[in-house]
Amino acid sequence: MRRMVLFAATCVVAGAQPRTVLLPGKSPLVDLRFAFLTGAADDPPGKEGIASLTASMLARGGSRTLSFEQISQRFFPMATQVSVQVDKHMTTFSAQTHIDNLDAFYAILRDMLLDPGWRPEDLTRLRDDQINALRTGIRGNNDEELGKEVLYNAIYAGHPYGHHNFGKVSSIGSITIEDMKAFRKARYTQANLILGLAGGYPPSFVKRVLADFGKLPAGKAARPDVPTPKKIDGMSLTIIDKPTRAAAISFGFPIDVRRGHPDYAALLVAQSYFGQHRSSAGQMYQRIRELRGLNYGDYAYLEYFPNGMFRFEPEPNLARPQQIFQVWIRPLELPTAHFGLRLALHELERLVREGLSEEAFERTRGFLSKYVSLLVKTKSAELGYAIDSAYYGIPAYPAYVREGLARLTRDSVNRAIRKHLDTGNMHVVLVAPEAEKWKRRLLANEPSPMKYNAPKPDAVLEEDKTVEKRPIPLREDRVTIIPVDRVFE
Amino acid sequence: MNLVPIFLSLAAAASAAAPSKIFPYSYDQHDMPNGLRVITVPTEFPDVVALYIVVQAGSRNEVEPGKTGFAHFFEHMMFRGTREFPPEKFQGVLQAAGAANNAFTSDDLTAYHTTFTKPDLETILRLEADRFQNLEYSEAAFKTEALAVLGEYNKNSAAPASKLFERLRETAFRNHTYRHTTMGFLDDIKDMPNQFDYSRKFFDRYYRPEYTTILVVGDVQPAQVKSLVNRYWGGWKRGSYRATVPAEPPQDGPRRAHVDWPSPTLSWLTMAYRAPAYADTEKDTAVLDVISFLGFSDSSPLHRKLVLAEQKVDVLNGYYADHVDPYLFTVSARVKKKEDLPSVEDEVTATLAGFKDTLVSTTRLEEVKRHLRYQFALRMDSSEAIASTLAHFIALRRTPETLNRLYDLYASITPEDVRQVARKYFNETSRTTVTLTGASK
Repeated sequence: MRRMVLFAATCVVAGAQPRTVLLPGKSPLVDLRFAFLTGAADDPPGKEGIASLTASMLARGGSRTLSFEQISQRFFPMATQVSVQVDKHMTTFSAQTHIDNLDAFYAILRDMLLDPGWRPEDLTRLRDDQINALRTGIRGNNDEELGKEVLYNAIYAGHPYGHHNFGKVSSIGSITIEDMKAFRKARYTQANLILGLAGGYPPSFVKRVLADFGKLPAGKAARPDVPTPKKIDGMSLTIIDKPTRAAAISFGFPIDVRRGHPDYAALLVAQSYFGQHRSSAGQMYQRIRELRGLNYGDYAYLEYFPNGMFRFEPEPNLARPQQIFQVWIRPLELPTAHFGLRLALHELERLVREGLSEEAFERTRGFLSKYVSLLVKTKSAELGYAIDSAYYGIPAYPAYVREGLARLTRDSVNRAIRKHLDTGNMHVVLVAPEAEKWKRRLLANEPSPMKYNAPKPDAVLEEDKTVEKRPIPLREDRVTIIPVDRVFE
Repeated sequence: MNLVPIFLSLAAAASAAAPSKIFPYSYDQHDMPNGLRVITVPTEFPDVVALYIVVQAGSRNEVEPGKTGFAHFFEHMMFRGTREFPPEKFQGVLQAAGAANNAFTSDDLTAYHTTFTKPDLETILRLEADRFQNLEYSEAAFKTEALAVLGEYNKNSAAPASKLFERLRETAFRNHTYRHTTMGFLDDIKDMPNQFDYSRKFFDRYYRPEYTTILVVGDVQPAQVKSLVNRYWGGWKRGSYRATVPAEPPQDGPRRAHVDWPSPTLSWLTMAYRAPAYADTEKDTAVLDVISFLGFSDSSPLHRKLVLAEQKVDVLNGYYADHVDPYLFTVSARVKKKEDLPSVEDEVTATLAGFKDTLVSTTRLEEVKRHLRYQFALRMDSSEAIASTLAHFIALRRTPETLNRLYDLYASITPEDVRQVARKYFNETSRTTVTLTGASK
């Protein structure tokens, strides 16, 4: 199996101090981000979830000197807290505090990260939280996120990305405090740390933080050495059998492109044109929702973007050397779900076949070159993006994207689309009731004629005649049904 | 006009005995002859501009039977174009500006928001002025959009909390339009495609200058904003409609309801007490805010007991939700085992009763006041965040000044105020309790 090694730019000489990303300013607010280059991809087999649970024990558990209850009491008047996010290769602790409280806040935060308390009662609570996040938060209460996460699990089966960042219910229960201490000691090292500060902190604060975090083990450079996922051969399908009102659908396939890749800007244009997140300008949104009213929205992604139903912009610090191209079809009424899936696949085929027109190319490129500024509208986001740029070895993200866009032509975008986007080899996830019926209907390629509540242009009705019969070439051995209560177990 | 953000005084204010104004920006507030209000807040954040257009009409205004969810549906229709800017062209202008554009509806307001870079200010104000004055859509587009609203209901339907709060409202209210959620009842949503004529009436009633405030926050100057608004919005005609929202009579006794969720999930308890309308001149609502932190925040004794020590609950919160008309003070808890629901309910009741009996310590009260001020300061981290915070208050009082008045009230609250407000509102007769449990595996 070919292996992909993360670019040299992210490597640090052993024993060096943590790298720093500094954005000083005059604001009375100070943003702090401590990004450790470790995450769920480092979870050992049988201990899936340890990266998340370890990070929670630090951010939402006590330090050696203060219980979490005492920490909560002290943070409360400052109106601050420590947030944590764990992805495959990055674990980020972030916080924002007013300059008035910086010293008092930092003294507590430092002890939380450098001198954790490892109390059994914190473990019991946080283990429950992590299991409930999987069972209730995603599986029970969020069909759309369920579909997206199962898509990742399916594409990366047998790969270090093959489990949710929170792990599996069965493995979370087996993680001990000793396991986490060992995990932290090996992974939370100076070489693995990118330290970010933004806002009105005094210059002496940087020295103080570096001196404190210089006490971490020096460690060795992070070299995520993850295998490429198995190539998807043809169409495969997972149906999550769940009693839902509507059907949530996601599909996708691995791509080689990530920030730093020569085709990143070209695929960014393609993605934005096809399905800019939460925008009504995307082609899929226009054809599926706006023209036909089938659902609430339809979007496409080049990079992992969890919790998209709650956010307009992606959270930074989800940097990965491997990504998938993903399409998110928001819940469809059950009678129109088969047609909706066919229509989304039809639109993807059209994108690959026809590409963008000159006008669409210029419009989308113009949009992105301005929109990219809005992604860093807060200091916290700017800091997060700057850390990601350090990880990927690229300039500041807005400048990187603008420079990439400036070099593009319509042909280069359309070439990148044909090179990287696939219409015949992908995985589809459907969250819906009566999975066996769905399986039979999809395998039989039964027609799915549309009826509308209002007149439609002839061109739409004509197109529907093709779409309603569009075969989805599935083989029975490529269709898996998973009862919802087995997911993430 | 002093346009320099008063960071230092804000920092000082948080610990000073006599606080200065909480809102750290100077702003310009201007009323046009047609009733439209324009508020400009220049900030130090470079290049970016956040525009919020706040219409003081939300699901509260859905006074006719069968029309629940209409304010929200209408928000969707506002994206269906005009003669000059049909949807594709409208979208094209926004795309060319690299703008992030969306809208939301709640009980008391509908807000249309766009964030963009400053060279596009005129373009965006002109585009928005056109749809607010000249919206025109076909019946076919209307019917199609009604299905997208059903799609929105569908995507929300997976979350039990949506159902819990839907049930809470319909149990706590019998007359007032707060009885229904902003999404509306499912039967009304299904009937939306048949309401084309009503949609025109809704637009004619509420999309009028006297209901609307234009809020511009960011790298802008008031003179420039006012001149552009005058040019593009000056001809907008004032309306005359006033909705008669039915008043809710006093509650006549405790009420209770239960939701059986069809699949496995953690249990929920929500307890709500009837509470007054938002006010910035009397203390009651400010005190209810403070009680929500005293009683149910991460620093509260109840959180310590139920979440950290006993670990029966993983989510606990209490809040007074500002509303134009009297609404609810609500406490919610997500309970890990359904057999613990009764004991958690007892704990919440005892916590509220405690405020009636025992005076809260001054130290604890001061901690909550400090929390409120720093929480506000931390929210002011981008022009968009500032505009979003203001939009909520503009729906209530149409001016940022209400924030300063509210935070002055917080500063003046005494332990005795807490006791008096608790005695006034936390009574069994005005309580509604709703529980939710999931199916067993």
